[in-house]
Amino acid sequence: MTELATTVWQGLAAAGLGAAEGWGVPPAVPGPMWIGLIPALPLLAVVLCTLCAIFKVKSKLPAWLTVGCLAASFVVTLLMYLNMSGSPMLSTAFTWIDVSWGSERSPRNLHANFGFYIDSLTCLWMLFVTGLATLIALYASEYMSHDVGKGYSRFFAAFSLFVFSMACLVMADNLILLYLGWEGVGLCSYLLIGYFYKKPSAVAAAKKAFIMNRIGDLGLALGIFLIFVKFGTVEYAKLFADGAFKEMLGHAMTGTSESWAKIPWDVKLIPILLMVGAFGKSAQFPLYVWLPDAMEGPTPVSALIHAATMVTAGVFLIARTYAVFQLSPSALTIVAIIGTVTALLAATIGMAQFDIKRIMAYSTVSQLGYMFAGLGVMTSVGACFHVFTHAFFKALLFLACGAVMHGFAGQLDLRKLSGVGKMPGWRIVGITMLVGCLNLAGFPLLAGFWSKDMILAQAFITPGMGLVGWVLLLTAGLTAYYTFRVYFRVFVGPQEHHPGDEAHGHDDHDAHGHGGHGHDDHGHAKADHKHEAHDFHPHPPGWAINLVLVVLAAASFAIIPLTFMGKHGGWVGDMVSHSSAAWSAPGEHHDDHAGHSHAAGDTHSHAGESSRSHDEEKLGTFLGMDPHAVMYYVSGVVGLIGIGVAYRLHLQGRTSAATSRADALLPMLGPIPKWAQNKWYVDEFYHFLFVRPLWVLSHIFHLIDRMLVDGLVNLAGILPRALGATIRPSQSGQLHGYAVAMAGGIGVLLLIVLLVAR
Amino acid sequence: MILFATILIPLAFAGYVAARPAKEAKSIALVGTLAALAAAVYALTQFNWSESSQIQMRETVDWLRQLGGLGIQRGEVTEWQGGVALSVGVDSVALMLIALTALLGPICVLASYTAITERVKTYYVWLLVLQAAMTCVFASRDLVLFYIAFEFTLIPMWILINLYGSTNRRKAATKFFLYTFTGSIIALAGLVYVVWKVRGPTGVWTFDIGDLQKSAMIVLSSREQGWVLLALLCGFAVKVPLFPVHTWLPLAHTEAPTAGSVILAGVLLKLGTYALFRFAIPFVPAAAYEYAPAIAVVSIVGIVYAGLICWVQTDVKKLVAYSSVAHLGFCVLGLFAFNTTGVSGSVLYMINHGLSTGALFLLIGMMYERYHTRSMKEVGGLGSKMPVWSTFMVFFTMASVGLPGLNGFVSEFLCLIGTFQAGSWGRSPGGTGGNLGFWYAAVAGTGMIVAAMYLLYMVGKVVFGPLREPHGHHGHDEHASTLPADLTAREIGILVPLAALCLWLGVYPKPALDALKAPSAQVAETVKAGRQAAADFGKPPPPPRVLPAIQ
Repeated sequence: MTELATTVWQGLAAAGLGAAEGWGVPPAVPGPMWIGLIPALPLLAVVLCTLCAIFKVKSKLPAWLTVGCLAASFVVTLLMYLNMSGSPMLSTAFTWIDVSWGSERSPRNLHANFGFYIDSLTCLWMLFVTGLATLIALYASEYMSHDVGKGYSRFFAAFSLFVFSMACLVMADNLILLYLGWEGVGLCSYLLIGYFYKKPSAVAAAKKAFIMNRIGDLGLALGIFLIFVKFGTVEYAKLFADGAFKEMLGHAMTGTSESWAKIPWDVKLIPILLMVGAFGKSAQFPLYVWLPDAMEGPTPVSALIHAATMVTAGVFLIARTYAVFQLSPSALTIVAIIGTVTALLAATIGMAQFDIKRIMAYSTVSQLGYMFAGLGVMTSVGACFHVFTHAFFKALLFLACGAVMHGFAGQLDLRKLSGVGKMPGWRIVGITMLVGCLNLAGFPLLAGFWSKDMILAQAFITPGMGLVGWVLLLTAGLTAYYTFRVYFRVFVGPQEHHPGDEAHGHDDHDAHGHGGHGHDDHGHAKADHKHEAHDFHPHPPGWAINLVLVVLAAASFAIIPLTFMGKHGGWVGDMVSHSSAAWSAPGEHHDDHAGHSHAAGDTHSHAGESSRSHDEEKLGTFLGMDPHAVMYYVSGVVGLIGIGVAYRLHLQGRTSAATSRADALLPMLGPIPKWAQNKWYVDEFYHFLFVRPLWVLSHIFHLIDRMLVDGLVNLAGILPRALGATIRPSQSGQLHGYAVAMAGGIGVLLLIVLLVAR
Repeated sequence: MILFATILIPLAFAGYVAARPAKEAKSIALVGTLAALAAAVYALTQFNWSESSQIQMRETVDWLRQLGGLGIQRGEVTEWQGGVALSVGVDSVALMLIALTALLGPICVLASYTAITERVKTYYVWLLVLQAAMTCVFASRDLVLFYIAFEFTLIPMWILINLYGSTNRRKAATKFFLYTFTGSIIALAGLVYVVWKVRGPTGVWTFDIGDLQKSAMIVLSSREQGWVLLALLCGFAVKVPLFPVHTWLPLAHTEAPTAGSVILAGVLLKLGTYALFRFAIPFVPAAAYEYAPAIAVVSIVGIVYAGLICWVQTDVKKLVAYSSVAHLGFCVLGLFAFNTTGVSGSVLYMINHGLSTGALFLLIGMMYERYHTRSMKEVGGLGSKMPVWSTFMVFFTMASVGLPGLNGFVSEFLCLIGTFQAGSWGRSPGGTGGNLGFWYAAVAGTGMIVAAMYLLYMVGKVVFGPLREPHGHHGHDEHASTLPADLTAREIGILVPLAALCLWLGVYPKPALDALKAPSAQVAETVKAGRQAAADFGKPPPPPRVLPAIQ
């Protein structure tokens, strides 16, 4: 791994990516106070929803309050974006944690404001976070309608709290406030996954998500400690301006083994620790297993938290501290490898699942892997761009699946639904789903295509990352296949449907089942179920759901032109390259392929201009061709092949929902499909390797505590009594006994005196 | 006078409760504790927070000055040097702990309104006496007064557990008493040794804590310091409790009545950490520094070991009891980092643990009053039946887990970062030097994961999941028929102030941290000076020791 990393770095050094131009954040300037409204408005919504809960409001009021506050927050974010200048803005609400020590000559302090660091990276994230949150809240107002008066206020309070936490995470001006947001989104994720709290599987999934995240959080916390100890600050603005930090960055960019040796080992450890946190939050291998289970939560939650926003926090963390990641020769290499492994692994599992929401979950894991790989192969622009496009189309996909789930009484099995898109009232869902699927599959010229492409091309260019590129390319094909497997099975083909197990007397009674039921009417509902199953009528989505789906589908088209705005990497590239995530990727001075089609001439990046001639051979190629030039075609073709295979296997000639041509192929693959369907037994493996031993250990500890630690104490307690019992006979009351004892005692004393006196 | 008032008000009301009929007991006790709270709040306003490490509000009443003291006749009055006096005074640490004690007072009384139905008078009398004793421990500036109060807390607590606890109460009470008492006796030996060594050439025995702190580290060799530290740890570590001398705690907690558990977790355990802060470190700083790694290891073992034991409990009260062992491990760890960050975090942890764990015990008590079981096998899924209770439960669990934005996070984070800083970081700007460091913080940090494991396991069982009620339980049984299914206004009223404080200390801990800055820095300074003194010990002829005049 180190060798690989060295290759990357030598390539970089050869590419002449100079230290001076490579990275530099302009000094921060004070920003306006109203920026604080962005997190404050969702917090207001939390308070209002809590009041609704306290006063037992039995209407959709909490939803409208939430939508209103979040929309206002989005508007403020837009204003913030329009107010951006070249320099990052700092805006402090109040001092949060402040401990100081040291002498007057060398004052030291641990200082963390409740303050905001606003640069274009912050704007990019907040725009899609608040924008999508508003839309999804609107969707949820209808989706959650069967809980009005029950958990409705609770849902929207947690939902708003999530947006608040996410805003803290993204806008924080220091790592400890980021940590607050980081754990805060974890809490909201916990509360919302466990929304149907009577369902044991939901509770277990919520717990698993929180604990898995905590493992990552420990890494993040230690990383923050180490940054603080080494650089004396946790504030971004001070860290990025720190002399020692810049000096080490200079060593890292020189890239020779002597200069690497000048960076202390503990500084090199920082990115490794931070990345553990990122892996936990963004569901990367080996900490990804919580995300598929998180689908127990209501679908709007899955769309917002577990697809579009929260899970991208890890990408954000690495992008925000991208310079810190340059301080280790192996950190980004590890990120790239983990990302790639995750992308492939999750895609293989996704191919074998039957639950459409889980397929989407695995596809999220897989796409997050892409983003990490993008960061690892030094295209922070590509990674952030993919975050951005993915947020739209994945939210769209989840919401479309959610509409199906909502309408078919919780049915998610793709073997039990077919031709949904053609049913009356379902056309909009079908079409928008198609848009989402095309984006995810990387269908040429759509948003998802451009962003995925940028990562793929860079993987082939960055020296030593060729294998990463090939695996990602294979994964792109698999992605197209499993995405359209869902589409061809569920949304087109012969019309057929079986309601899910949540069908009750009235079809919108309590999706997610045993969720809202009291103790008593349980049996009654079960009885109903059998009776009603025959004349079950699907329940097409209403205006709110349809509106949100259409808006998101339109948005996924609307963001395509953004690809061609600006210099390199389009609008997102502009945003990223003016932030702390800016980094000139190797070969970026080639025509940046996103900008290629419209501005081939002026896309040379400043860094590479001077050294363009002598570095060409150091950079990787795609089968001897320039990856930027050919990757569009290659990835487009791979995507189309995936779609074609899915068409052949899952749509052509299919007559029922349950079977398809793929069934005939499965036996040829032996046990592999079964293994993949069982998620390669990773959960079982973890259970066997960690959970079970820990559980046994805990019981052993408990036993030790009772028997040994406490046992010794009890023994000490018994001892005096036992001693008393043994010598009690001597206190017989008979005079001669005492006399003998006395004589003996005196004798012993005399002996001692004699011995000592000698 | 205000400090004496915070001690004497509960004591006076205890007498009044004893004198009045039983049915008035709880009202009088409530008034008494509220009056004490008012006195404590007044003390908070009178304290000069800009000099928070100074001992303020000193009050001294001659008591047993003859005991080792030297009286100098000046006309009519006798001026005393040394000797035992009723001497009180507080710095910000002591004052904040007094405020915590005073806050928990009315809460404990209110929490006992329906739970205690027999021998009501005795109960409230001893509850008030206990509060007076605990306040006295924090306020005293005289070693003898401190020790008397420290030991005296055992008696009311013993009575509360022994008379009002659940089935196994006698064993628990006896074990609690004997275990902590035995430890304290050894600690007394250590303290007496310090006093004996410090006594001046004039033969004056001083028991003034400030004087002892100044002189002890100079007169004790590092070998002696080691033994004194061991002796003090015998008493104070049992009280904290640190692994492996913690086994009295789960039993005592489980058997104690709700208010007893709240006081035990909220204040009594803090007597141990407070005594470590007040005596162990200032008296024997060199030894404390030298053995800090050992103490840290013990704390960390406690964090992980007790945390894992929590995870396999079925008794929810025992789970929270064991969690105290784990939590206090963080507290001691931060204290023995000997830097401003760690010590501030540690002291703040004392307050925060009192609030959040105290609240958890209150909540469990409320559940117990309704279902008469604490077993998570029998009762669970109360989210649907008791939504208000469940909301508070989740809230305080999150405070206990150390979720940022709530109080537990700030102190836990500071303890860990303090531990982390106290390593050999060379000239790194954030390091403070010390003999802990990366691995101590990293392993202790796994406690954060374990805490999430057991606390979410608890919430998952008790709050979430399908509703489970004890067999034959319909609504509520005859015994608790006065209580509705969900919380009453009184119960909500108990929890809201605690929740508000948890939120406040999590979102805006700055005032508290500012107040703790100076005392924490002082600990760091003391340890530095103490190590210097130990290095210089016996080298040059010691300068003549002059005891400072009694203030």
